[in-house]
Amino acid sequence: MLVSVREGDPRSLEETTRDLNVEAEPTPQPMNPTAEQIGSADLVVGILTELDSNALAKMCDALSTLPSPLRIAVLHDDQQKAAASVNSETTQERAFVFHVPSLLAKPSVPTTGIVGMSETYQSVFAAAEKLQAQGCCIIASKLEMATPPWAWRIAQPLFESQADLVLPHYARHKFEGLLNASIIAPMMRALYGKRINNPMGPDFGVSQRLFQKMLAAKVGGNHLNALASLTPTALCQNLQIIEVHFGTRSYPPTDWSNMSSVLADVLAPVFVDMERNAPFWQRTRTSVPVRVMGEPHSPSDQDSAVMDERTMVESFQLGNRELQEIWSLVLPPSSLFELRKLSRLSIEQFRMPDELWVRIVYDFALAHRLRTISRDHLLRSMTPLYLGWVASYARDLTLAGAMSPERRLERLSLAYEAGKSYLVSRWRWPDRFNP
Amino acid sequence: MWDHVKQALVDSTTRFLTRLANFLPGLAALIVALLLSAVLAWILAAIVRRILMSLHFDERLGSWGFSSLAEWSPMKSPTRLISRSIAALVILSGFLIGVAAFDFEWTYLFVQKIFAYIPDILAALLVLFVGNVLARFLGRSVLIGAVNLNLQYARFLSVGVKWIVIVLAFAMALEHLRIAPGIVELAFGILFGGIVLTLALSIGLSSKDLIAKSLERDVKKASTEPVEDPLRHL
Repeated sequence: MLVSVREGDPRSLEETTRDLNVEAEPTPQPMNPTAEQIGSADLVVGILTELDSNALAKMCDALSTLPSPLRIAVLHDDQQKAAASVNSETTQERAFVFHVPSLLAKPSVPTTGIVGMSETYQSVFAAAEKLQAQGCCIIASKLEMATPPWAWRIAQPLFESQADLVLPHYARHKFEGLLNASIIAPMMRALYGKRINNPMGPDFGVSQRLFQKMLAAKVGGNHLNALASLTPTALCQNLQIIEVHFGTRSYPPTDWSNMSSVLADVLAPVFVDMERNAPFWQRTRTSVPVRVMGEPHSPSDQDSAVMDERTMVESFQLGNRELQEIWSLVLPPSSLFELRKLSRLSIEQFRMPDELWVRIVYDFALAHRLRTISRDHLLRSMTPLYLGWVASYARDLTLAGAMSPERRLERLSLAYEAGKSYLVSRWRWPDRFNP
Repeated sequence: MWDHVKQALVDSTTRFLTRLANFLPGLAALIVALLLSAVLAWILAAIVRRILMSLHFDERLGSWGFSSLAEWSPMKSPTRLISRSIAALVILSGFLIGVAAFDFEWTYLFVQKIFAYIPDILAALLVLFVGNVLARFLGRSVLIGAVNLNLQYARFLSVGVKWIVIVLAFAMALEHLRIAPGIVELAFGILFGGIVLTLALSIGLSSKDLIAKSLERDVKKASTEPVEDPLRHL
């Protein structure tokens, strides 16, 4: 973990060293001050991903070009690499390096997935609060050589445009980030009325006002998932949200045979938030775009991902055959009938209509709220349906004369908006309204 | 001779009438106790039903994760199940009070034994209930997991797991009730072992290639990529 105090620091190196009661050495050596010794910082940057020394040095360089003189604390949990990077030539003239092991706390209980990530995000917020920062940035995506300016792009709107939440808009290939593209982003757009492309980041810029709200909610016993609740909290509080074009984000290949745990992990906090914010989103009718900064990028190279549609459709058909007793607790008869019709189609003819998919997602969200069955079972039983939609989407895009992924996903988003009245009716009268 | 016969008849009649006279109050007490307990049971059941309905007990039970109880309840209403159970308990208590009114040694022993047996019955019912809930939960977990792994015999696995747990719970309940414990133990061992062996053989023989491939894939995956990272789907 590392804190680098950047150019523009009102205190000199000597002052800082005296304050820390550490003897200066000819060669810069990492020191370990506490947060109290550091005092304050204007911006806290949490690096939650592996970052090599060159990338970290470039990122620090990019941050130093922010317009106003800022004290910037960079938190990184890989001490060795971090120390090496900031002692490099790129930054040694302008940055002091301090190790602060207490700031980016590891989760108390070893947790994985979204829950573990959420705890780490909360620890960055806590560090920012401790250092009285005006904002904080979190970089969780794996960075390539071309992406160190991401931290700068996230930080800039926090200080120049007084944004409360800066969200990324990645240029991605057509088969990447599909859980976000097929459920999270269009559903949040329909619910909260703001067209946001990556509501769950995972790279964020957060203002002091917003991270204080997140920390206050945690103290108040209202357990928000920092990753899933950040955007809905900002939307419900009418805070200013800005999207920034980020360029291509590198994704490792997707393991489509292991989707159930991912679905349960990601959708659980999203549905919990949906329940928490129901009074707000039931009032929203239409969607509007949010302010976007930067130039849009195209994906850097050709999409090489291969989709095994046959296996996905077979998973859907198996699910339709074996999971009827569970789906019938969640879905209305009309949806079950349509699913049965779909399962009889050949792979070449297989198409899941967006309207049906949207109703399925909304019905699962409702069942999650009503706890019709165990929530983990519920979300895992959605896997064959999700794979069915992915197969249908893949076929839509691979056919000759197919529409672009953006247009295809826009059509899906409109279906989510059109289906919102269905959701509201089911949400308000789960027993009475059963089409 | 005739006098003796007459005397014996008179004695017998007297004994019969005496016993009848002793028995009739007890019978009347039993009938009264039953009637009173029935009325009390009806009133109590109505009160409990109303209270539970006003508390939306059925919906709340679902939200607490006991939705499966509804499937085992009359008219799919746990409220009715509870109110009727209370009514049945009150009527049973009334019956035992009525039986105890007979001033006989055996009725006293009978009631005493029944009361001594009640904790065992309750424990057995609890074991059966928990076993049933657990069986359904595990069966569903296995079904969903197997379907998500694309296993064609998902249903078979799920039913197997469910029945293993139910048989185990049933055997434990009978053990609590002290009903032929030796036979139950033996039968359970045979049945449980049989189910496990059947599952193992059927899965092992019918899909050894599939399992080999699956294990091979898992080993490869474990060496290269231990966990699916949720962030890549966002």
